[in-house]
This record gives sequence, C-alpha cells and structure tokens, in this order.
Amino acid sequence: MSESASSEHDSHHNLVVGNKKLLMWLFLGSDCMFFGTLISTHLIYRKLYPEEYDPTQLFSLELTSFSTFILLMSSFLMALAVSAMHKGELKSFRRNTLGVIFFGLIFLGCQVFEFSEFVHLGLTLQSGTFGSTFYLMTGTHGCHVAIGVFWLTCLLFYSYSGKMDAHESAIDVEAAGLYWHFVDIVWILIFTAVYLIEFIGKTGGAAH
Amino acid sequence: MTEAYDIPLPEVDKSAENEKYHTFVNLALILAAITGVELVLVYLPFHTVFILSTLLALSLFKFVAVVAWFMHLIYDKLLLTLAFGTGMAIATGTYTALLILLSSEDVDHDVITGVLGYF
Repeated sequence: MSESASSEHDSHHNLVVGNKKLLMWLFLGSDCMFFGTLISTHLIYRKLYPEEYDPTQLFSLELTSFSTFILLMSSFLMALAVSAMHKGELKSFRRNTLGVIFFGLIFLGCQVFEFSEFVHLGLTLQSGTFGSTFYLMTGTHGCHVAIGVFWLTCLLFYSYSGKMDAHESAIDVEAAGLYWHFVDIVWILIFTAVYLIEFIGKTGGAAH
Repeated sequence: MTEAYDIPLPEVDKSAENEKYHTFVNLALILAAITGVELVLVYLPFHTVFILSTLLALSLFKFVAVVAWFMHLIYDKLLLTLAFGTGMAIATGTYTALLILLSSEDVDHDVITGVLGYF
C-alpha cells in the first residue's frame, strides 16, 4: 500500500472508530433518560404513598451491598479487559472478560434470589405502586445486565475465532465495556436511592 | 492464527495502558471501601440529614469516578461528555420537574391511584 493510500485508510478507519464510540455514548445518554424516568417514578410514588410498604422488612441490605460490590469489581475487570485489548494482549482480555461474565452471573443470581424472596413475602407486580415501580426498575436493570453478559460471552467466543483485528475489535470491546460500566453506574444510583435511603433512621440511627 | 499470539500495537500505546492499570486498581479499592462505608453509615446513630447528604455525596463520587476513569471519559473528547451529559441533564431535570409538580398540595392522589388502577 502506498503512503497516501495508507494515510487515507487510517483516516477513514479513525472516522469509523469515532462514529461507533459516539453512537455508543449517545445510546448511553438516551438510556440515562430511560432509567432516570424509572427511578424518578419509583421515588415519586414512594413519596406520595410512604405508608404502602415498609421496605426495611423486605430488603436485605447485606445481600444488596454484596451485589453492588460484585458489580463494581466486574467494572474493574471490564476496564482491565478493555485495556488488555488496547495493548493487544488477547489472553489477558479473555481472562478478564471471563471474570466479568462470572460476576455478572453472580449479580443476576442474587437478583433472582431477591425477587423470589420478595414474591414469597407478598410483593408482586400487582400488589401496589411500590411493587410495580420496584420490579419495573430493577427488572429493567437486570435485563440490561443479562444483555451485557450475553454480549461479552459473544465477544469471548469471537476472540477464539482468530478473526480479531487490533483496531476494530478494540473499539468493539470498548463499546461493550462502556455498556457494562453504564449498567454499573445505574446500579450505584439504585443502591443509594432505592435501598440505602429506606434504612436511614430505621436501623437504630437517630431519626430526626 | 495461533492461540498464544498477541495483537501487535505500537509500544507507546502499551505504556499508556500500563499507567492506567494502577489507576484502575486504586479506583477499584476506593469504590469497594466507599460501598462498605455506605453500608455502615445507615446503621450509625447520626442525624438523618447528615447521613442522607453523605450517602448522596458518596454515590455521586462513585458515579463520576466510574464515568471518568473506567469509562475513559477524561481521556476522551469533550463531545462524548456532552453526548452523555445531555442525557444525564434531561434525566435529572425529569426527576426534579416531577418532584416539584407532584409535591404540590393541589395534586389529587386519588386520580393518580385511579389511573394506575385502570392499567
């Protein structure tokens, strides 16, 4: 390839890479609005009907904190996987991605366990505004996690196909990484706004 | 293509990524510690306002830290920050607007319940 043709190829390549990344960020921005609406709806209804449920009788703060920790650590591994891909270290990428998938499955397992406990205690989608908004919000988040696990599993299998390209695949992995980190930050907000806040003043602390 | 291969990239890229590794490790430790502090905080006998504001501040810090470092936003172009920031601003605005609208004394709660019952 001549120098000018190579330069043209690089320029075009960079343009494509930029577009993919920009599209991913735009999607995440729109997903922010989506989750913003779900979280807002839950919080507003909690404010309007505070007497409907006492979530402290339902929520297991230890389990949720464990889930949060797991998701944060999966985010760390995802950052390492993206970094490994940028360095072209395929083995490291596979190891870290496998870790992310494993942690994602643990998170989903915790959520399934939590939901089954709640249903057993009488909280269902039809049992009132609290149940409706809670399951819709956390369920949508769980679906996002499941999609992320599926996406990363596909990437992991693809890495064994021998078709991974240094530049193009790095951007694909980065897009998947952005999606995974987004799922993590949404949970950071849900953990505080939905779970932790309910326990303030009800666990022996001063309620003023 | 063999299994043990590494994809060749310029050395300058690798050194930059190696520097990020330490940042990621430190950040992961900080985030784990903050989650532990949050869990303990709700059990402490402090004033509700203090606990609430501390929890919100810690949550905001975790959010910004993940977006900035793990999602590489501080290393990327401003356009990406704007793309994400716009969505965040609209989401926050939606919550604020709903909170103000539904905090009004004029809101008929029975109407809201009726609408939900319809669905």
